[in-house]
Amino acid sequence: MLPGRILWYDAFTKEWNMLEIKNLTKSYGDLLALDHFSLTLEKGEVLGLLGPNGAGKTTLISILAGTVRDFTGSVRFLGHDLFSDRNLKNRLGIVPQDMAFYEELNAMDNLLFWGGLYDVPRDALKKRAAEILERVELSGRMKEPVKNFSGGMKRRLNTAIGLLHRPDLLLLDEPTVGIDVQAKVSILDLIRKVGAEGTGVIFTTHQLAEVENTCSRIAIMDCGRILAQGTMEELIRLVGEKDIVEITGNFPAASFTEALQDLDGNGIELLSAADNLATLAVADTEQIPKTMDRLFRRKLAVTDLKIKTPSLETVFLKLTGRSLRD
Amino acid sequence: MRRLLLILKNDILRHLKAPVAILLYLIIPIAMTGLIGMIFTPSSKDNTLPPIQVVLVDKDKGLASRLFLGAFDADQMKKMFQVTVADEAEGRRRMEKGKASAMVVIPARFTLDVLEIKPVVLEVVKNPAEQFLPDVVEEFMNTMAVMLSGAIQAFEPEARGIRLMLDGPIDAFPWESLGPEFGKAQKKVVAAEKYLNPLLIRLQEEKTKAVGAKAFMTRSDIFSAVLPGMAVMFLLFIVQTVMRDIISEREDGKLRRMLTTPLRPGELIGARIAGGWLMGFAILLVMAVFGTLVFKAYWGSPGYFLLLAAVTAFWTASFFALMNAFLKNRNQAGAISAPVILAFSVFGGSMLSTEAMPKAFQAIGLATPNRWFIDGAALVREGRFPAAALLVLAASGLILLFLAVPLLRRRSTV
Ligand SMILES: Nc1ncnc2c1ncn2[C@@H]1O[C@H](COP(=O)(O)OP(=O)(O)OP(=O)(O)O)[C@@H](O)[C@H]1O
Ligand SMILES: [Mg+2]
Repeated sequence: MLPGRILWYDAFTKEWNMLEIKNLTKSYGDLLALDHFSLTLEKGEVLGLLGPNGAGKTTLISILAGTVRDFTGSVRFLGHDLFSDRNLKNRLGIVPQDMAFYEELNAMDNLLFWGGLYDVPRDALKKRAAEILERVELSGRMKEPVKNFSGGMKRRLNTAIGLLHRPDLLLLDEPTVGIDVQAKVSILDLIRKVGAEGTGVIFTTHQLAEVENTCSRIAIMDCGRILAQGTMEELIRLVGEKDIVEITGNFPAASFTEALQDLDGNGIELLSAADNLATLAVADTEQIPKTMDRLFRRKLAVTDLKIKTPSLETVFLKLTGRSLRD
Repeated sequence: MRRLLLILKNDILRHLKAPVAILLYLIIPIAMTGLIGMIFTPSSKDNTLPPIQVVLVDKDKGLASRLFLGAFDADQMKKMFQVTVADEAEGRRRMEKGKASAMVVIPARFTLDVLEIKPVVLEVVKNPAEQFLPDVVEEFMNTMAVMLSGAIQAFEPEARGIRLMLDGPIDAFPWESLGPEFGKAQKKVVAAEKYLNPLLIRLQEEKTKAVGAKAFMTRSDIFSAVLPGMAVMFLLFIVQTVMRDIISEREDGKLRRMLTTPLRPGELIGARIAGGWLMGFAILLVMAVFGTLVFKAYWGSPGYFLLLAAVTAFWTASFFALMNAFLKNRNQAGAISAPVILAFSVFGGSMLSTEAMPKAFQAIGLATPNRWFIDGAALVREGRFPAAALLVLAASGLILLFLAVPLLRRRSTV
C-alpha cells in the first residue's frame, strides 16, 4: 500500500518537499510554453499561480496531471518521481479548467464514477461523496441531472470531484472562471479550508483579488517561468514604495520613450511603453506633474492618467509590463 | 479490470438514461421493415397465390406416369399445382377457356422406354395467353425429368429388374409393395448424388426453389428477408452513436480528466470497445425479438443466430474504434459516419437485395458487414451454419481491432 509507505518514509527521513519541480521545459514547436520552470511546495501550502494568457499555467498543470508528454526536467512528488509510479496518482487531485463530468448523470453518480477511478473502497467512497456534496452545498440537489445545474453549481461539482479521494496535492486550473461572486467565494473558501487541513494546493488564476485573500504564497509567472514568488507582503516590497502610473493617450511609443529619456535619476522608471499606453514606476508623487509637463511640451496628447498605489496589481504590472485581464 | 468494468457500466447506464437516439434507431428499422413488407406482399387473405391449373394427359398409364402424378400430389406441390387428368382434346379446350395454364403430355410406353434406358420426350404445352404460370410448370417438369433420368441411369440394374416385374398386366401390379422399394431407391439417390450429374441436378433444384419462393413468398417470409438488412444498418448507426464518446470526450476534457486518475489508457479503450460490442449485440437481439413478435419473422437456429449477431457486433465495434481513432472531432464524425454507414447499407444489400444489383456493386458489397450479416442470416434461416460470414467478420474484426488499439492509445495523450 502506497500511502503507508509514504507515511513511513515521512516519519523516518523527512528529507523531501511534498512537490519539487525542477527545470521543467516544454515547447510546442518553436514556442516555449515552459522555460526551466522550478517550484517547490510544502504540505498545507496554498499557492496562487498568477499569469497572463499564454503564460504556461495550463501547460504546467497538464504536465503534473500526466496528460502532456515530451517535456524535460523532473517532478518529485512525496519523494518519488511523479511519472514513474501510477499509484502516485491516487495522491494527486486535479480540477481541470473544463467542466469534465457527465451532464446526463446526477451529481452523486458523477462523484461515484470519477471517485471510483481511484483506489478508494466502495463504502468509503459513498460516505465521502455524501460528505463532499454537503461541503460544496449540493446535497439538496444530488439526484438531479447535472445538466440542470447553474454554472456556479457545476464549478462546485467540478471541484468536488477532484477532492473526493482526499489527495495530498490538489491542482486547480482557473477554478473560478465565469461564475458569479457568491459561487466564487464558496470555492475559494473551500480551497482555503482544504489547505488548512494539510493538503497542498496550487491554483491558477487571472484574478488578483482571489490570490490576495486565499493563498499563503503567490507566484507570478509569464513566458513559461516564475518571475517572482513569496507572500503578499514580500511581493509588494519588491516594487518598493513606488506608485505605478498608467498613461493613456494618442502617442507613438517611440516619442514617449524619447520624452522621458533622462528622467531615471528623479526616481521615475519607465516600465513599459506601447503606442498610446505607457507605464511608469514613480517613487515620489511630486514627480508626476513634472512628467506630465514634459509630455505636454512635446505635444503628446494624454487623455487619461491612473495612479496606482502599491498592491499586487502594481507588482504584476512591474514584473510583466502587462495588466491582468480576464 | 475493476476500472474497465466501472467505465463499461457507467457508459451503458448513461446511454440508457438518454435513450432517445437509441430508441429512434430501434424504431426506424422496424417501421421500415413493416413498410417494405406491406408494399411487397400480395394482399390476398391467406397470403398465397391460387394454385396453378395443370392438365395431365396420361397416355402411358404406367409406373413412371403415376410417379409424376404422385409428385404433383405431394403436400408442397398441391399448394402450387392443381392437377386434372384428362385427354388431350379436353386439355386443349380447358386451356382455350383459360381454365388451365399448361398441359403435360406423358407419351405412351413412357414407363417402358424409361426403364429400358431409351430416350423419351415429355411434352409440356403452355397456354400462350398466360405469361408466368406456364413457365413454372415447364420448369417443374424439367426438373422432374432431369432427376428421373439421372436416377434411372444410376440405378440401371434396378430399373431392369422393375422392367421384368412389369411384364405382367399393369393393373395387377402390387403398388403397395413397390412404395418402400422406391423409398429405398430414393435414399440411394441422395447418398449417391456425387456419382450422378450433381451440377445439373443441383442447378435445377435451385431453380425450382426460386420459382417456388417467388410464387409462395408470404408476408412473414418477406419480413424475415428484409429485417436482417435493416437490423445491421441500424446496428451501425447505434454503435457509432455510442462509440462517438471516444471523440467527444477527447474534445470536452473528460478523457484528460480520466487520464489524471490511475486509470490505464488500455483499460479505457477496452471498456469503450467492449461497450460498443455489448450494445450492438443487445440491439440485434432486441430487433430479432421485436421482429419475431411483430412480424412473425423467423431466424432459424437461435444458437447460430446469436453467434452471427455477436460476431457482427464485434466487427462493428472494432470498425468504429478504428474510425474514431482517425477522426478529429464530433463534426467530422457526424459528417463522415452517416455516409459510410449508408454506403455500407446500399452496397451491402440493406437497401436493395443483392441480386437486384449490378455485378460491380455486388463485388463492393463483399467489403461490407451488411452483406455478410444478411447472407449469414439467410443461411441460418435455411438451417445452415454461416461459416463464411463468421470467419470473414471475425477475422477482419480482429484486424481492425489490432489497428485501432495502438492508434487510440497514441491519441489519448498530447
Ligand atoms: N496544444 C498546444 N499546441 C500548441 N501550442 C500550445 C498548445 N497548448 C498551449 N500552447 C501554447 O503554449 C503557451 C502556454 O499555454 P497555456 O495554455 O499553458 O497558457 P495559460 O497560462 O494557461 O493561458 P490562459 O490564461 O489563457 O489559460 C501558449 O502560447 C499556447 O498558445
Ligand atoms: Mg489556461
